[in-house]
Amino acid sequence: MELVGSEELSAGEIATHFEITRPAVSQHLTVLKGAGLLSERRDGTRRLYRARPEGLAELRDFLEGFWTARLDQLKAAAEEAEAASKRGRK
Amino acid sequence: MNPTEAIVEREVRVDARPETIFPFFTDPELMVRWMGNSAQADPRPGGVYRIDINGTYIARGEYVEVSPPDRVVFTWGWEGEGSIEPGASTVEVTLTPDGEETLVRLVHRDLPSEDSASAHGRGWEHYLKRLRVAGAGGDPGPDQGVVQTSAQAD
Repeated sequence: MELVGSEELSAGEIATHFEITRPAVSQHLTVLKGAGLLSERRDGTRRLYRARPEGLAELRDFLEGFWTARLDQLKAAAEEAEAASKRGRK
Repeated sequence: MNPTEAIVEREVRVDARPETIFPFFTDPELMVRWMGNSAQADPRPGGVYRIDINGTYIARGEYVEVSPPDRVVFTWGWEGEGSIEPGASTVEVTLTPDGEETLVRLVHRDLPSEDSASAHGRGWEHYLKRLRVAGAGGDPGPDQGVVQTSAQAD
């Protein structure tokens, strides 16, 4: 991500920074693109990649919503369990 | 709070005792009642934590600290999704009794941020290393995540 933070690079240029095969780099780029952390642009036959910082804000928004919803569920489930244990003790 | 800070904090007030709430973070049967479809949990430091949220999102990490009834810490990431590698971020939960109720506070830290470009670099290296092994026909072994791998680096 550091490599593509300030400039666009092609998969081939990115691969020169790592001792792995081009297909392996492409596979990793696809994952990051799917996660919204990387943008891809076609320039003729080349694909150029750039970090997508707004993807990080979206990730945090997603997690805030995720944990808010989950904790609401936790509250409901734990209160139900508490009520059941109180009934059990009576 | 600095909006670019790589942290998510959430609180909820629950009408139950910490002793009742705590197992919802450690017992798979109770975890699925608020987190997902299925769960695996080995609640001791280094023990696995894995929850299939909805068939697409699978959260995975390891327990770091298990201190009933008021504190549990586990690492966190998504299997196969890429935005947070399994084990790369940390979720810290504290349960504080307040009268009849309990304040549940959840802090999800070490999230990817622009400031953590070097951490991302580590993530890249970690996964690229694994891909290199797999690409050469080898088995990279169970993925211990970025944090653990850097700690165990020899």
